[in-house]
Formats: sequence, C-alpha cells, structure tokens
Amino acid sequence: MSQVLVITSGKGGVGKTTTTANIGTGLALYKQRKVVMVDADIGLRNLDVVMGLENRIVYDLVDVTHGLCRLKQALIKDKRFENLYLLPAAQTKDKTAVTPEQMEKLCDELRKDFDYVLIDCPAGIEQGFKNAIAGADKAIIVTTPEVSAVRDADRIVGLLEASGFEEPKLLINRIRPDMVKRGDMMSIEDMIDILAIELLGVVPEDEKIVVSTNRGEPAVADETSRAGQAYRNITRRIEGEEVPLMTLQEVEPTFMDKLRMLFGIKTRTAKGEGAKWTF
Amino acid sequence: MALEPVIIKGTRDGITIIIERYADFERVKNSIVEKLENGRDFFAGGTARVKVKNGSLSDEEYLELEQLLEDYGVSLKKQLHPKTYIFPDQSRIPILLLKRTIRSGQKISYKGTVVILGDANPGSEIVAYGDILVMGVLRGMAHAGADGDVSAIVAAFRLQPTQLRIADVISRPPEEIQEIPRFPEIARLKDKTIIIEPYYQFSFNCIKRKQEGIK
Repeated sequence: MSQVLVITSGKGGVGKTTTTANIGTGLALYKQRKVVMVDADIGLRNLDVVMGLENRIVYDLVDVTHGLCRLKQALIKDKRFENLYLLPAAQTKDKTAVTPEQMEKLCDELRKDFDYVLIDCPAGIEQGFKNAIAGADKAIIVTTPEVSAVRDADRIVGLLEASGFEEPKLLINRIRPDMVKRGDMMSIEDMIDILAIELLGVVPEDEKIVVSTNRGEPAVADETSRAGQAYRNITRRIEGEEVPLMTLQEVEPTFMDKLRMLFGIKTRTAKGEGAKWTF
Repeated sequence: MALEPVIIKGTRDGITIIIERYADFERVKNSIVEKLENGRDFFAGGTARVKVKNGSLSDEEYLELEQLLEDYGVSLKKQLHPKTYIFPDQSRIPILLLKRTIRSGQKISYKGTVVILGDANPGSEIVAYGDILVMGVLRGMAHAGADGDVSAIVAAFRLQPTQLRIADVISRPPEEIQEIPRFPEIARLKDKTIIIEPYYQFSFNCIKRKQEGIK
C-alpha cells in the first residue's frame, strides 16, 4: 500500500529538503521501494539541487497541474539510485500557481505508481503549506533544538491536527550531543515534552551533510556519515521496523584505544558509527 | 508602411534621389516616374545622385535607373560607390538589452534577440526567439530559437549553463566536473546536437565563410 508523506516544519532552514532527499534515497536504496519526491516549494525550489538533478529539469509540477505536459514527462529519474524519482517545482512561478485540489489529484495520480510519495513542504503556513499537506496521509515534522523551531513545529502540529492528520511524527535534526550534555542545547526530552508527538528519529549535526548537500549526493548513502546512519535508521522505522533510538553520547576513547591510535592501529571506534553511536 | 519608397531632394549641384529598399524595384521606379512627371520641365537638363537606404542596387537596376532618368533628361552622376549607403535594418531584429543580473526565479521571454550586460544566475531562465548573448557568466537555463530557429546561438563571456536549449534540442553539461574554460564560448546547433566552441574560433570561421562566399 502506498503512502503519501509530507515533510514539514513551519520554520525555514531546519532541514526539510535534506530530510526529504535522505529519506527518499534511503527508501529507494536500502528498501528497494519505488519512491517519488515532490518539491512543493514553488518559486524557491531546492530539492533538485540537493539531489544534483537541476540540469535535467524540462517540465515541472506547475506544468503537470496545468496540463502542459504529462506526469511521466516531468518525472526525473535519479542518476544513481534505481526506483527514485523527482518531481521538481517551478522556479519562475509562485505558490498560488497550484491549488490544494490540484495537489490532491496529483498525489492520487502518483500513488498509483509509487510505494512512497514524499512531499517537500515549503516553510511557512500559507498557501504553499496548504498545497503540500493537501494530498498527504501522514506528516513528518522536522525541528532543530532551538526554541523558535520548536515553537513553529508546535504551531504546525496544531494546524495538522486541525486538518485531520493523525499522529504526525517528529524528526529532530542537527542535535549536538556535547552541547546537550553541557546544558547549552535543548534535549530530546525537552522537545518531546513540549510537542507531545511520537519521535521518528534524531539526526546529529554532521559536517558531511554540508558537503553532501553541496555535491548533490544524499548523506544516507555515505556509510561513514553519522547523519547518514541516523537517516538509514529513520528509513527502517518508516518501513515499520523497530529500531532503538540512538544514544547520543560520544564514547570516550579508553586508554587502550588511545594507545592503539598512538600506534596507528584502527580500532573499532576509529570509523565511528557502529561502536560510538548506538542506534 | 506609409513610408515613401523614393524621396527627391534638391541640392546645390542637382537633385538627390533617396531610395528606400523596403520596396521592390518596380515600386521604386513607379515612384520616380510619378515624381518626375510632376515636374518634367523642372528636372530636365539636371543631374542626379542616388542614395540607397536599407539595402543596395544591383548593377542591372542601376543601369535601368540611368536609362529611366535619361528619358526625362536627367543625367545620373557617376558615383564610385553607389552601394555604400547600407543602413542597418534595425526594425526587423528586435533586441532586448538588459543591464542587470538575472537572478534565480526570474524569467526573460522575448520574441527576438536578448542581450544581457550582467550575469544570468542558476535558476534563471532566458527564452528568446532569436539569439542569446550574455556579456557575463551564464549559469542558468538559456533557450535560443524558441520558436524553432535552428540557426540561433547562445554566446556568453563565460558559458556555464545548467541547461542549454536551441530550437527543440535540449542538452546539459556533462556530469563529471571538468575545468571551466576561461574564455568566451558560443553554442550552436550542428546536425541536431548542440556544440560549444570558443568564441574566437566561431568568429574566425564566420569571417572565413564570408570570404569564401565573396569569392
């Protein structure tokens, strides 16, 4: 049964597009699901850039809804991952170019051919947001450990509930365990306390995200990326698997580890993820 | 157009006949006859010069004109270069000149040639029925010959587009990162594929073709 998921946040810059790209890639790459990512951010499109598919765009979402091309013509097949497709947004139009009814129709159309339809929602709560959620079954709310982002996420939860969404899931992005430990950053518990929704996953701050975003290669496919590992786990949870949440404390290297490092011997923790980060 | 194909002006040493080459030669001749008939006695015995606007007269046409004037007693002054008065035909190639940067989300559509004194950034779109010239860095999408003109070109001081389209052909730069050329380039259609060559090579070829054509 196919699902239409909307990735939303209210606040801008918290990682909606990065999350969409990584979950989409993760589902296609590790779960062999047929996935389409829809960029609903008309006028400020980014998903195509993050996926490195910008130069392949000929038709876009607005062309499809206005009947200027067939849906199949506008879908861009990913260059690396089988089963992964992108429906880009128009860049020279604005949010009013599409209505919620048209989006609903589009989602139902896509639902026939794909296991997952991921909608990358624009920031804000206006028309763009209304368009993005119109055709969705479920919502993933992305937030960062900042008071402003959590405030906006809370507003979004309220709006989603009012539009009949049941149990939106929370994704906490860009958390820094060291800062949480020092008490300089909101902890996961603090955020769940306020938002009172189910946690889908936690993605640590990772410099590799910046690199992968700029290169147009999602971090989820990078086995050495911590954030990539977090997204792989989120992918599995979306598929219904029980994956324990990661503990975010970095394991202090033991005396023996330090000794091994001194001699240049690779330890289990040298590459990170598996040992340092339990998920 | 209500423009007279022929204007006759009196000057100190005779008359000057100014011919607009929008009209075909028959109309030009008719107009001259009409004008000369009106002042048969006035013109007789005089001399005339010919100026041609927006084009030129062929040698046959020139002889014909000389014959025609002779019938009215007007002698045509021998001119060394009767064909040198070529005015550029501006009215037929509309040109849009933009002195600014074209940014993401901005779309320029024009039924003619587009010249940009500035850059065209990624996410911008330039669609022209004619050629596209960017006197800066072209990083966005450019579509020349949008209504099917396969002879349209895209030229830029630095040609680094996300996508290029000429007539109904679409191309994008190769995936692997390659060295960015530090010279102006020009894109055109050759056998239904878009090719990019250095601008100096293109202009060199143009001159060569022209010279060969004259020979």
